[in-house]
Amino acid sequence: MQTSIAAFGKRTLRALTKQKAVIAILAMLILMLFFKTNFYTSYNLLSILKDAAVNEIIAFGVTLTVIAAGCDLSVGGVMCLSGIVSIQLMNGGMNMWLAILVAVLVGALVGFINGFLVVQQKTEAFIITLGMGMLIKGVNQQLTDAHPVSCTNMEFMKIANGKIGGVVPNLAIYMIVIGLLTYALLRYTSYGRNLYALGGDYDVAKYSGINVIATKWTAFILSGALAAVAGVLLSSKLNTGSSIYGDDTALMVNCGVVVGGTSFAGGVGGIMQSFVGLMVLQLLTNCMNMLGIAPYLQQVCQGVVIVAIIWLDCFGRKRKREDV
Amino acid sequence: MEKKDSGIILSIRDVSKSFPGVKALDNVSIEIERGIVHGIVGENGAGKSTLMKILSGVYTKDTGKVMFDGETIEHTTPIESLNRGLSIIYQEFNLVNTMSVGENIFLGRFKEMNGMRGTHAEARKLLDSIGCDIDTRTLVGDLSAAEKQMLEITKALSFNSKLIIMDEPSSSLTSDELKQLFAIIGDLKARGVSIIYISHKLDEIFELCDIVTVMRDGHVIDTKPVGELTRAEMITKMVGRSIEHEYPERPRCVGDTLMEVRSINTHKLHDISFELKKGEILGFVGLVGAGRTEIVRAICGADKVKGHHVLVEGKPARIKKPADAKKIGIGLLPEDRKLQGLVLRFSVQSNIVMASLDKMTRFGFVNSSREKEIAERQISNLGIKTPSAQTTVLSLSGGNQQKCVVGRWLEINPQILIMDEPTRGIDVGAKYEIYVLMKQVVENGGSIIMISSELPEVLNMSNRVLTICEGRITGEFNPEEVSAQTIMDSAIG
Repeated sequence: MQTSIAAFGKRTLRALTKQKAVIAILAMLILMLFFKTNFYTSYNLLSILKDAAVNEIIAFGVTLTVIAAGCDLSVGGVMCLSGIVSIQLMNGGMNMWLAILVAVLVGALVGFINGFLVVQQKTEAFIITLGMGMLIKGVNQQLTDAHPVSCTNMEFMKIANGKIGGVVPNLAIYMIVIGLLTYALLRYTSYGRNLYALGGDYDVAKYSGINVIATKWTAFILSGALAAVAGVLLSSKLNTGSSIYGDDTALMVNCGVVVGGTSFAGGVGGIMQSFVGLMVLQLLTNCMNMLGIAPYLQQVCQGVVIVAIIWLDCFGRKRKREDV
Repeated sequence: MEKKDSGIILSIRDVSKSFPGVKALDNVSIEIERGIVHGIVGENGAGKSTLMKILSGVYTKDTGKVMFDGETIEHTTPIESLNRGLSIIYQEFNLVNTMSVGENIFLGRFKEMNGMRGTHAEARKLLDSIGCDIDTRTLVGDLSAAEKQMLEITKALSFNSKLIIMDEPSSSLTSDELKQLFAIIGDLKARGVSIIYISHKLDEIFELCDIVTVMRDGHVIDTKPVGELTRAEMITKMVGRSIEHEYPERPRCVGDTLMEVRSINTHKLHDISFELKKGEILGFVGLVGAGRTEIVRAICGADKVKGHHVLVEGKPARIKKPADAKKIGIGLLPEDRKLQGLVLRFSVQSNIVMASLDKMTRFGFVNSSREKEIAERQISNLGIKTPSAQTTVLSLSGGNQQKCVVGRWLEINPQILIMDEPTRGIDVGAKYEIYVLMKQVVENGGSIIMISSELPEVLNMSNRVLTICEGRITGEFNPEEVSAQTIMDSAIG
């Protein structure tokens, strides 16, 4: 028992240090100890979770497609679309929960179309989903005439803005619940293991009797649906739906997923990694805001950190490979 | 009928299969008895792989009848075949490198295994049953070729296979690992599992198989108990002509020292120093993992080594990357033809001219007629069997693929050609042609370093042999004077 605990500890430690994103987070946490800011207040730490929630939830879905050796760049558009659709339906008199359900189904439908083109028709995921994102942005502008729409139903705002016990933001709870569900899906169900298998080697998975098309297709549907869920939450948080949200969401989320260690090559990574990857970006923004760094410089720093993490990860692997 | 067939596990009757322009199988009939090892030999392109793919369900047959375990099989899929008890272990392993050993064994059966814990527990039991102690949580990508082989066999057993087909199972195994494989095959046979053993290596067929079927050009030439055939007869049947020699006469044009390697030291290599003479074929013998490949990779600059250790014609050569090696005339035929040797989706022409493109480039523009001319010349010189220079390399047989890599380096007239496993996965006829090419290279003043796991070819082709064990050079021999046993002893250490 003792040894198994020690082995587990060792494994965990190795897994953590392998991901440079974890090191980046630790570095930021330690760095913030030396500055006198409001960083280490429960309010700020909880608000980091709250602010990260929308992108994290999208990332959980995108992670599924990336593990399956694809990607999903339509999520930004889907996020806006679902917010707009839910608000417009509610303003049109539809029941709130029904409107949300419809919005999520619309997201799933986009995912279904992505899956059809990418998986069934064997097209390139990157370009197809990028194009789909552009298309949906156009639809969003059409729906709203490029003006923000706000919701008249005040109940809607409470979904995202409430706090449990007056402390923990609802958004953080949603993120954690959805995160745990997707984590369990990937780790403990045959669906999840099949997804890893086909991402690792599509033909081997196919010849092992895995229904590769349905499995990978479902990943895109889930990604669309989760992006829609995130969109509803975002619109609830801001009480507004707009076609201008999420222009950089898709790239940010896919980037965060890869920064966390879920490779575009497929077959590796997971929800924890994506959570960490997105957290790096969120934490960085928060730290820089706390330190009062100018916005342009923030953008530079963000770019530097992303490039550095990916580079160091690759460098580590290269060293290992060339270690003769 | 039923009574008669009870001893037959698999019966293939009059099966034909055509691809556009080729009749891959022509009325092939083979019967496999229960509990025996049935060898199938034949040159590449003889139709063995096509037959296997029909059995597994990757291809559908045009005509004919297949009966497995008393049932007629019409249309099948790979997974149905597996569930019936017919497993095929391909040369290119059917494993997901990014997943663990246990998960690979039960790929697609996660639910039936009751999750991760059941998967690993069952995997452990199966691995133990063939005496294999790999940790079930290891990533498959970290396993050696031999371990992957064991894993494939374990995977086949997990389906309660009655018939296991092994396609070239020994191509990446060392002789020790091969012994282990043979022991496992013997064990399977004792359990009543039938084995179809496809191999180019006749020694293995003679040692292992009970019955052998010889195929050529999509036909079955003969099926006989192994004892009733001699090696020469078998080769004659395989190639359709009698090959008098498996090897050309040993070239003798050794001159002065051409290259000197001085004390390369890395994590895996210890004090590697040797000389290569002009016109010499120098053989490297050692187990897989002994450091043979690492030595040549270090020389070519494919792996990083501190300092400069290579002298060519007495002058230090600065080789930091393979491109530097090319400049001073060192060509490398890598160990893994498909991963490092060829761009499989490119045409024969593109693959051949890859190293010599600057010869036909002016002001940065490629002279495409010259490119074509060079490709055509190598195709005819080397006898590469391809419909055209524009065909993708992917569709060629192993031997012809290897000739494309050889052609690429011949085009730059290398002083030193390093050949890592030059005949792996190539049939007897094509092997001979590669040997003749090697001979031509040294007769034209080049030198060759040859790495091979097949001791006979090293002994028959080299002028000098170095044995390598655990990263050290452990001996130097004249292959004409010492026995294979002496050399092997030295290589095992």
